Amino acid sequence: MSIEVKNIIKTFGTFKALENIDLKIETGELIALLGPSGSGKTTLLRIIAGLETADQGDIIFHGKDVKDAQTKDRNVGFVFQHYALFRHMTVFENIAFGLRVKPKDVRPTEEQIKAKVTELLKLVQLDWVANRYPSQLSGGQRQRIALARALAIEPKVLLLDEPFGSLDAKVRKELRQWLRRFHDDLHITTLFVTHDQEEALEVADRVVVMNKGRIEQVGTPENVYHNPANVFVLNFLGNVNLFHGRTEEGSADATTKKIYVRPHELTVTRQPVSARSIKAKISFINPAGSVVRIDAVASDGQSVQAEISQEEYKSLKLQRNEEICLTPKNIT
Amino acid sequence: MAVHLRSEPVWVRWTLIGMALAFLGLFIFLPLSMVFITGLNKGIAVYFKSINNPDALSAIRLTLITALVAVPLNLIFGVAASWAIAKFDFYGKSFLTTLIDLPLSVSPVISGLIYVLMFGAQGPFGTWLRDHGIKIIFAPPAIILATIFVTFPMVARELIPVMKAQGNDEEEAALTLGASGFQTFWRVTLPNIKWGLLYGVILCNARAMGEFGAVSVVSGHIRGQTNTLPLHIEILYNEYNFTAAFAAASLLAMLALVTLFAKSLVEYRYRAELKAALRLENHG
Amino acid sequence: MRKLILIVLTLFVLGTGAPQVFAAKQKVLLNVSYDPTRELYEEYNKAFIKHWQELSGETLEINQSHGGSGKQARAVIDGLDADIVTLALAYDIDSIVEKSGLLPAAWQQKLPHNSSPYTSTIVLLVRKGNPKNIKDWDDLAKPGINVITPNPKTSGGARWNYLAAWGYALKKWSNDEAKAQDFLRAIFRNVSILDSGARGSTTTFVERGIGDVLISWENEAYLAVNELGKDKFEIIIPSVSILAEPPVAVVERNASRHGTLKAAEEYLNYLYSDEGQEIAAKNYYRPRNEAIAQKYADQFQPISLFTIDELLGGWQKAQKTHFADKGTFDQIYGN
Repeated sequence: MSIEVKNIIKTFGTFKALENIDLKIETGELIALLGPSGSGKTTLLRIIAGLETADQGDIIFHGKDVKDAQTKDRNVGFVFQHYALFRHMTVFENIAFGLRVKPKDVRPTEEQIKAKVTELLKLVQLDWVANRYPSQLSGGQRQRIALARALAIEPKVLLLDEPFGSLDAKVRKELRQWLRRFHDDLHITTLFVTHDQEEALEVADRVVVMNKGRIEQVGTPENVYHNPANVFVLNFLGNVNLFHGRTEEGSADATTKKIYVRPHELTVTRQPVSARSIKAKISFINPAGSVVRIDAVASDGQSVQAEISQEEYKSLKLQRNEEICLTPKNIT
Repeated sequence: MAVHLRSEPVWVRWTLIGMALAFLGLFIFLPLSMVFITGLNKGIAVYFKSINNPDALSAIRLTLITALVAVPLNLIFGVAASWAIAKFDFYGKSFLTTLIDLPLSVSPVISGLIYVLMFGAQGPFGTWLRDHGIKIIFAPPAIILATIFVTFPMVARELIPVMKAQGNDEEEAALTLGASGFQTFWRVTLPNIKWGLLYGVILCNARAMGEFGAVSVVSGHIRGQTNTLPLHIEILYNEYNFTAAFAAASLLAMLALVTLFAKSLVEYRYRAELKAALRLENHG
Repeated sequence: MRKLILIVLTLFVLGTGAPQVFAAKQKVLLNVSYDPTRELYEEYNKAFIKHWQELSGETLEINQSHGGSGKQARAVIDGLDADIVTLALAYDIDSIVEKSGLLPAAWQQKLPHNSSPYTSTIVLLVRKGNPKNIKDWDDLAKPGINVITPNPKTSGGARWNYLAAWGYALKKWSNDEAKAQDFLRAIFRNVSILDSGARGSTTTFVERGIGDVLISWENEAYLAVNELGKDKFEIIIPSVSILAEPPVAVVERNASRHGTLKAAEEYLNYLYSDEGQEIAAKNYYRPRNEAIAQKYADQFQPISLFTIDELLGGWQKAQKTHFADKGTFDQIYGN
């Protein structure tokens, strides 16, 4: 099901949570709403779910305006950051809830419910916890149960609010990939909110970058990463170095031009390789990881970050407090 | 993980514990057992005779009816009020919160008098009520109203902290799963607050059955008609009928003991509920 | 949920409506009285129900309400649906007339003896053997005597107590009011506990064992002695005391509305009958009927009595001089 968000405005008191939000999501897409806290991404998600009402604007599900429809009639699966599992019910009952509250004439039978819950538990690979209570599960397990519960009502849209926000790094990575595979299998239109750019870029088909109640950019992960629409997007999607440099010698505005270069886009050498090279002193080296991270201080006092491969690091034999030259690779 | 304070010498601890126990014995256990001893000092037959007399039975009946009306009404009100206060923001919320506590800070005499002033013959509705033959003041309705007034905060006060701690998450989850407002309340909210609710109801019931001051003001003390158990006890006592007075009092004392027992039982569960709510709240 | 609401409503209706519905089946009289008459009317009601049954064929139900006289008057004003009031003093019934108009101003002329079918007086109750050797009012003013009496501001009986002592003082110092006031000040300096009602004071003295002497209604004193042991207390009759005339009246507007006017009137008339008088005497109230009084002569020792009219010219005046704000009681007790 496609979702269209038209000119949504939402204020809390004097705080403008959302300003004129327009967004179109196609059927089957996996979309990440990415932004810092307070950017309005969760509010937008809650408005789509009907948990919050917009002051203005329309929400259109598959061509139908649902602005005035209640949450329970929107048929959205919602997964909360803190799981919001019913603590007094077993895992089984949690997942069965959405089926049990259906109107009598469409309510499945007890066998159907049982079959469905078992199927969902298998889907989230937790069929052995059916009779436990949420408090007996780990964070990652709880989140998968929350997802299974949301899927039980066969929603046309799946909304996830910081789904991995309260999990530790390792579980987070696993669940992220799992979500991607899961979406590839089921193809439900999915929106998830995150403040973690890595997560957004890794999982989503398209990323919606939000800031201060506005959408800054919408695009594929590749697109937003490599062609950021503005400084905010560039900054938010990864570390970036700011150079007050000359891009092209002799050009009139050369002195005022700012250059943004990501750490991996810098070449590290002992000697200057071009006019664009700057000198810097190494302040910190972190060789633990797939790449080696180098923090340095440029001659004008600016701090700079660079990433080089382990091979380069070994061949250069870099030490702390050494002088190096940094050169942007492909400035156009 | 209990933390044991080992800084005080043993004798200090035992002196303090001993003092606490002596106080309890002197001020609670001894008087309470006196109630039973005096009630039974003329034998079990006299004891039952003093309870099984028309005035006493009428007092027991009125007390039970009062509690049966006041407690459910308070339950409904308490749940509604705490729901509104804990889960929504609206104008005048802090005013409502203060208002709920009002009956606790008002003297019971005033709680009774307001109904005398309102429904009494000299009050604004007095003439109309008299002309239509409706008795409120000095009749069971006023007793029930006064009881409702004084027990007003009992349920709400217990529920507000529980509901506040639990937040809206589970309710919102239920809504997204297609539950109606009523289903959400019945299947999600209520089970989560049940121990807190029960605790409030027990306190409310104890107060409803034991209230003296406010009820005394609006009762009119008509024997066999408008005396509740506490009022009946006072009358018997004033008639030098000590055995009967203490027999009746022993009923209330037993109620107190049952309440106490139920309270500590529920408290145990309720504390777990509150703690669980707080734990989930603090998670992340 | 709907079911729950329904149950609650049903209970409410039952709880509030039922007594009235059941009561409507038979005629009900409500006698609103003061504290010490509980035993008297309990016995009298039984006799009267029988009498009325014989007279009219109707079965009556009589309800009683007891409390401090002033408080009870206030309750009737506020709507306590009394058919009959039998209070401690005429002033309280006057207040009902004044504040609610439920009965005519001339109510006291409706029945013989100023509408007081029985009288009583104020006596002193001491502990067995009279250890403090209390003989008369004088002894109450002596230092070191612990006196128990209720608060005249709230208790009708307490006002009688106060005026009895006042009357004694006026007689002793030939109407010197300043001396009388000093005398009462001395007595009230000895009062350790000021209960709000006569029954409360009796309980304090008798049950809690506080005080050397209780200033009390005569009937209340007898009741305490007889209920709680002749071996514990003694009644001291002072040289002079006040004639207390507790009045009775039909609250005509209430009774008319209930259709019980006739029964209510007969209820009071019958108090003057031989049976009524005898029940009063048995409960230690002095009967008006000479013959009955004679029969119970050994119970009521002769005592020199003065009336409130002789002493102060009526209750209205007494109330104003002594018990209103800044009256003599406030002057002696307030500071």
